Amino acid sequence: MAQYNIEKQLNILDYALSSLWRRRMKSLSVLLVFAAVIFLLASFQMVTQALSDKAKQVLAYTPEITLQKMSAGRQETFPLTYKDQLDGIFGIRRVVPRIWGYYFDEVRLANYTVMGMDTAEMPEGDRLDSALASGKMPSHEESGRVVIGHSIKKGLDLGGRSTFSLFRPDLSLKPFEISGEFSQNTDILTNDLMVMTLDDARDLFAIPAGQVTDLCVYVANPKEIDTIARKISDALPAVRVLTRPQIQKTYQVVFGWRSGFGSICLLAALAAFVILAWDKASGLSPEERREIAILKVLGWETSDLLAVRFWESVIVSGLACILGMTAAYIHVVYFSASLFRPVLMGWSVLRPELHLLPSMAAGDILLILAFTVIPYLAATVIPAWRSATVPADSALGG
Amino acid sequence: MSIRPALVFAILLGLLLVLEAALFVDALSRRKVEATTLTQLEVLTSALGLTDLAVSTEARYTRHPAVSDAVAPFMDHPGAIEHFPTGAFWLPPPR
Repeated sequence: MAQYNIEKQLNILDYALSSLWRRRMKSLSVLLVFAAVIFLLASFQMVTQALSDKAKQVLAYTPEITLQKMSAGRQETFPLTYKDQLDGIFGIRRVVPRIWGYYFDEVRLANYTVMGMDTAEMPEGDRLDSALASGKMPSHEESGRVVIGHSIKKGLDLGGRSTFSLFRPDLSLKPFEISGEFSQNTDILTNDLMVMTLDDARDLFAIPAGQVTDLCVYVANPKEIDTIARKISDALPAVRVLTRPQIQKTYQVVFGWRSGFGSICLLAALAAFVILAWDKASGLSPEERREIAILKVLGWETSDLLAVRFWESVIVSGLACILGMTAAYIHVVYFSASLFRPVLMGWSVLRPELHLLPSMAAGDILLILAFTVIPYLAATVIPAWRSATVPADSALGG
Repeated sequence: MSIRPALVFAILLGLLLVLEAALFVDALSRRKVEATTLTQLEVLTSALGLTDLAVSTEARYTRHPAVSDAVAPFMDHPGAIEHFPTGAFWLPPPR
């Protein structure tokens, strides 16, 4: 009996494939459009998932508490004496001052992220040199020496030179010598980064002595982050207190389907399905009615005709799903999501080499199936039933 | 003797399976390389106190979304609208 059923289904599959091949131009068009929609959705899902994963992995090491001062809704510098006001808070292990800001290079129209700090005071500061492609981090006595990101080096186009200058706010030039270079592999964090001593950053941005932009606070017990953050807020009401869990949470929600681009991907998919479902549900062509009538006259049952339509839908949607998701994976991994780069990086002049490697979990695949294949199968059920119940004489007699 | 269509389809699926297997094997080797890079990234985050990924460098609120307020895109002048392309990709940070 089982053998008979398998043979029957195989014959129906043969018929469904022949039927698709007979209408190959139409079938191929549906398959390609369907695969393109899945490609778009899957690419977006893979890019956002790979970026979120990367953020989750690396931002687990971000400072436990970051303090910044806000005034009139904008970040501004604050005196180093704020550090003294944290002395009384039990549980703080270390406080490291930092100057952090953006430098707009008017020649190259690029934004650099400038950080001035004494890296020797930071956790893992002694291992920092091992993460560089070449050179070493400047110590806090080494004035005028910087470590720069790969894209900055490329953008500055220094040739064989290792020196360059940046403008202070009063347009006087501040010379720098390149002390080291971040690796291209770490572009996702260091692409536009320029690290120098605290005094150099203060000089470059013309920040008065004794002023900083951030304090990185490290606590003895990570379970006490929230409690200590609350105590800091009480002691320094004017500062914004950002905790490591808040920063990590940002990257778990900052890439999502509710973003403008995500919504466009979803709406495009939805529009494609509405058109497809409309086409399927709007009625049968005379050729289809004739085909069904002939099959019924030949002795095919309604259930057999439904099986043919089911196999056709499974073949088209299954193939489109495999092709679309494979193409999306190749697009993200081998082409660094090049189609999304105009939106992902916008008008950025410095663009990192994205080495994205999405790990597709069963949940992600199910999400894409739920958005694509299942609606397609559902959209073909009613038309399939309608087509299967066409009376043979009405089709042939007409 | 003609080949039955189901067999042709099975061969096509088999070829796709070979392609998927090749991609999977390549992903395994890429993951090993990524593990080495990850150590470097962890050191950098720790030693420089980094808070954000450097994916977009055009606007401060997409360069550093974790330390930006949701209002930052509209701060350029009174009545300013958000106009950077990357604003379409990134959602505002939760606060």
